[in-house]
Amino acid sequence: MSQEQASRPLEAMNTVGRNVPRIDAYERVTGKATYTRDVRLPGMLYARILRSPHPHARIRSIDISRAEALPGVRSVVTHETHQLIYSSGSVAGGRQYNDAAKDITTHLRYMFDNPVRYVGQPVAAVAAVDRHVAEEALQLIDIDYEELPFVIDAERALEPGAALVWPEGNLALDYQNQARPMVRRVGDVSAGLQAADRVFEDRYTTAFVQDGQMEPRSALAEWHGDKVTIHTPTQGISNCRHDNARDLGLEDHQVQIVCKYMGGGFGDKNGSYYFDLIAATLAKEADAPVLLELTRKDDWLGTHGRWHTIQDFKVGVKQDGTVTAIQMHGYSGMGPYLRRSGGISGIEVYACPNTERIIYPVHTNRMVSGNFRAPSDPQGFFAMQSMMDDIAYKLGIDPVDFAKQNMLRPTEDVRFTNYTMEECIERGAQLFDWQGRRRPEPGSDPGPVKRGAGMSFMMFRSGVGPSSAILRVDSEQRYTLFVGVTDIGPGAKTTMALIAAEELGVPLSQVEVVWGDTDRCPYSVGESGSRTTTQTGYAVVQAAIDLKEQIAESGMPTGDEVLIASATPTPSTQGRRRMCFGAHLVEVETDVRLGYVRISKYVAVHESGRILNPLPARDQIRGAALQGIGQALHEDLLYDARNGHPLTAGYYGARHLTHMDAPEIEVTFIETDDGFGPYGAKTVGEAGIILGPAAVANAIFNAIGHRMRDLPITRAKILEALS
Amino acid sequence: MKAFANQNAGSASAAVSRAREAIGRGQSVSFVAGGTDLLQLMKDRVVNRPGSDLPDVLVNLKTIPGLDDVRLSGPDAFTVGGMMTLDALSRHTVIRDEYTVLAEAAESVATPQIRKAGTVAGNVCQRPWCWYYRNGFECHKAGGSVCFSVRGENQLHAIFGGGPSFIVHPSDLAPALVALDASFRIVGPDGQRFLSGADFFVLPSEDAQHENVLRDDEVLVSVELPIRPSEAGVRSAFHKVMDREAWTHALASAAVVLEMDGDVCRTARIVLGGVAPIPWRVPEAEGQLAGKRITPELARRVGEVAIAGARAMSRNAYKIPLTREVVERTVLSLAASA
Amino acid sequence: MDRKKPEKEPRELPESHEPQEGAHLSRRDFLEGAGAALVVAGGAPKLGVAESRTAVVAPQEAEAVPRTRIRLTVNGTEHRLDVEDRWTLNELLRDHIELTGSKIGCNRGECGACTVLLDGEPIYSCSTLAVWADGRAVQTVEGLEQDGELTPLQQAFIDHDAAQCGFCTPGQLMTATAMLNQNSSPTAGEVREALVGNLCRCSNYNAIVEAVLASTGSGGAP
Repeated sequence: MSQEQASRPLEAMNTVGRNVPRIDAYERVTGKATYTRDVRLPGMLYARILRSPHPHARIRSIDISRAEALPGVRSVVTHETHQLIYSSGSVAGGRQYNDAAKDITTHLRYMFDNPVRYVGQPVAAVAAVDRHVAEEALQLIDIDYEELPFVIDAERALEPGAALVWPEGNLALDYQNQARPMVRRVGDVSAGLQAADRVFEDRYTTAFVQDGQMEPRSALAEWHGDKVTIHTPTQGISNCRHDNARDLGLEDHQVQIVCKYMGGGFGDKNGSYYFDLIAATLAKEADAPVLLELTRKDDWLGTHGRWHTIQDFKVGVKQDGTVTAIQMHGYSGMGPYLRRSGGISGIEVYACPNTERIIYPVHTNRMVSGNFRAPSDPQGFFAMQSMMDDIAYKLGIDPVDFAKQNMLRPTEDVRFTNYTMEECIERGAQLFDWQGRRRPEPGSDPGPVKRGAGMSFMMFRSGVGPSSAILRVDSEQRYTLFVGVTDIGPGAKTTMALIAAEELGVPLSQVEVVWGDTDRCPYSVGESGSRTTTQTGYAVVQAAIDLKEQIAESGMPTGDEVLIASATPTPSTQGRRRMCFGAHLVEVETDVRLGYVRISKYVAVHESGRILNPLPARDQIRGAALQGIGQALHEDLLYDARNGHPLTAGYYGARHLTHMDAPEIEVTFIETDDGFGPYGAKTVGEAGIILGPAAVANAIFNAIGHRMRDLPITRAKILEALS
Repeated sequence: MKAFANQNAGSASAAVSRAREAIGRGQSVSFVAGGTDLLQLMKDRVVNRPGSDLPDVLVNLKTIPGLDDVRLSGPDAFTVGGMMTLDALSRHTVIRDEYTVLAEAAESVATPQIRKAGTVAGNVCQRPWCWYYRNGFECHKAGGSVCFSVRGENQLHAIFGGGPSFIVHPSDLAPALVALDASFRIVGPDGQRFLSGADFFVLPSEDAQHENVLRDDEVLVSVELPIRPSEAGVRSAFHKVMDREAWTHALASAAVVLEMDGDVCRTARIVLGGVAPIPWRVPEAEGQLAGKRITPELARRVGEVAIAGARAMSRNAYKIPLTREVVERTVLSLAASA
Repeated sequence: MDRKKPEKEPRELPESHEPQEGAHLSRRDFLEGAGAALVVAGGAPKLGVAESRTAVVAPQEAEAVPRTRIRLTVNGTEHRLDVEDRWTLNELLRDHIELTGSKIGCNRGECGACTVLLDGEPIYSCSTLAVWADGRAVQTVEGLEQDGELTPLQQAFIDHDAAQCGFCTPGQLMTATAMLNQNSSPTAGEVREALVGNLCRCSNYNAIVEAVLASTGSGGAP
């Protein structure tokens, strides 16, 4: 059955398209929103984790007797007391939501590992009557480590003689447990390079970026007989439940995951964490609820972030600017466990018929990499579009013209549900005054203050797929929507509610949302991968349609009756690509003698289908763009190669943007309705972060005339480049 | 955190007595002012006083009356109480008008919340922010005998005066105070003493473990600012370069105090921050200004002389041109503020 | 802009705990064998593992955690409390007075999520000991709403989408409240400077500034 629905005119509908304040905004501005650590259970214990101080070491012995003897300590667990696999922490091929992949994973990651493979890896945990006693108890755990050789550099890790993170070698195992790079070839890149008039080669590198969400992670576990309830800030209650059940040796229905509010997700939390397991284990041992709190440093080093990359390009072009070949060989630093794919995007926006991309996901003894908002994208787009920008200038071609000349467009074989990539660039260029702000000759302003402009453009998946929703109406015409969302910030609860209100044709005030609890909510894909609005939102539409049909057939319920509709649609675009599109244009003002960069104008144009709720959509783009600026100019996790120790964990060390660092982001949406998703809505949440580093880096080049090829582009690097 | 006792001191000498009693009992003791930095160190289990343990006793100095304001202490000096908050210091009209460099230094520190708790003494006596020290490495600053920044990650480390430790002094007030020729008043078991900046701050070559001469039972109680005659025509400014807009220690800073005679500079004091283990005076650069009218060319020359003795480590060479630039611009900005 | 310094009444110093003889192991005792000392060559930090020089409270003396009785007014209500000297103000508010609106983002004074007002001034409650707040007045986010009425600032945060994940929101509100008490018609630049000590990783900075400006009636666009 075709999933297309009739496109509706794009002015605001009854509820969709109007500014709807978040339905839980009141709770957030009054301190009433209950995040995980705000939950209090009677008899609750507090737990802390002890972590490895070594990048690679075998634990010869571990003595917990002094910790256990400390008054107030209720349980202590280690790799010796419990061997639980943390199955979502390391997966063959990084295929996260895939049980079959987990079944064959050979590089297993445990709740507590031995040997330990990164500074910060957990080795023990204590539950005690208060957090201070728990912390003091950690000091009483005696561990004898045998230090092992370690490797920090992703490229060196694949060289012969490198320290081995795994006995078989440091190239991560793919979905078939083979140590092979990820390869994608189109056409014949050697022929394409041969056919070129000029071939350009360059290397680009990008740093590791921690998600850095404001809520440090925790898990609160409580057993009721053979069932465990875990409160934890997760983006995916269903996946979190399933993963934890698997690892605890339970059935899904024996695990309840609760997350009513969470302080930021950014993509890494759609599943379980090892500290869910630790909290559950401590709670079982102590026979009491246990709140395990991660300190900010624990959270920084003990969770995950965007993989750092090394990308080597060879690009062939004709003199007229037509790209004939793109070759990229790259390394993604994944840490000791392959938790996610390690992909690097960027080539796909070009029409070039001959491309080759070979990516080595590499194991090192750094902290583990994971998903962060468009996991494969900003790092890849920075490198690819810096490379192309560079080539454009070397050929004397305006980067906007170069982009138009080489961008992917719909063809017989490449079909989209709709396509607006060029329109985004043109609208952006016009709003930004590209011709007025770009310096045809980079670095040509008389110093020391130099301005310049750069641009970047993209498309990003906004596919359709399954999810579920349940909708119920009672005799008072109150509608209750059950959806498995937790709302990491984009306002999913509100979005789902207004979709329901729109389709039902009722005011938003008549719709209540039940969320964030696996005991009450149906399956949800979880809020990552840009799927909540398009997939869960679509399920809401279908449930509402079903409910309206029931009401039409049997009338509104009376008395104690309710009508219930549930939907688990599996839509399909019939082979057409469904993408969102965008362009970012940035002007920077630099002071080359101070190495200073200030963003003086930032224009973001996005086509994300129909915008369901204008303010949150705009703020998703603005926030993501600012994160992109942080990645471009500041954020890093520095390791000392001599001892494998991270030096800059935390907000101060990583120099996150403050209010005073945040320029105004000017957002324009080009609205469309391609007949898919709820009312034509597409993803907004991840789209905004993809282009920032590329646009900022290109603007810096235009301003200072020097190509910066390593993120973050710090003052120090600019001063060194220009001296 | 490890358990400790907070003891409120009623006077500077009582604070000293409390500290000595604790030491006498074999306990570890730290004086605490605003506490924003000390509590961090304690939570991270980083040694504050080298050779000591995490504190068993905190002697709270905030309860000492009379230390939180600026007062005229004689015909020649203003006394700035050690417990004055950075926020209050930056807003004080006398400081803003007469000792602008100090007000500007104070308001450049961290954030409003930290400035409302952080104090003059606490800021001056702050431990280094070297990432090795703060991550618990057993370096000189923790009482050990090695500096990990040597042949390591030394992007933020010293280009002057380093060795065997290469930290940069973390205080923004310190260069301003030295530029103002402030006197540091210390109270200890033998009573009080006054030290110049040159005597208060100590190079690693003399003592690698400490940044100043304070012993475990001594307190920095106040600083005295000399009052210059009104015809002295004093202008001063503080310029701090950070790698984000706020809430960061200086990559390089300059505290400049000029005594002007019309538009001719009679004397200059230039003190650098963020580049050396102590506030770094550059007398040769100061000498370039004596008796001269300040022009852009002269300001440039002053900057160049200021960095003449700088030595880069493997990763901090960028600090050298940056420092030159900061000095040049600060001097030039004062010439313009006639 | 001159601020009046608040009148300070002479404060009664709280009872401070006199340490008992032998309440804590001396460093000498510790090094001479009371606890296992791990000395690792190379000097790399031990991240929570027993450090060779960290004095540890021996099990039988763990009860001797110093405590102090304090008085504290929170959102207008006076409390008399017996606190551990080592509790931060944040811990006292969240865990012992059950006001969980003030958050812990880092517990290190690096993020601002714990901001409360102490005698009207914004401070990081994670970086202040509870005992230091004795005799003083604290306002938290829970104290903004009065008789069911949100402040104009809170309402503006709702109307201008200033809370995404919401975790930094209480801190932003408290700092902005204090700022507006001092300066009721700030510019956008002044708002950013005043709030610079409150991070937002969702990076909803533009909307937060717009909401603050809108609450003063000076329009939404920065």
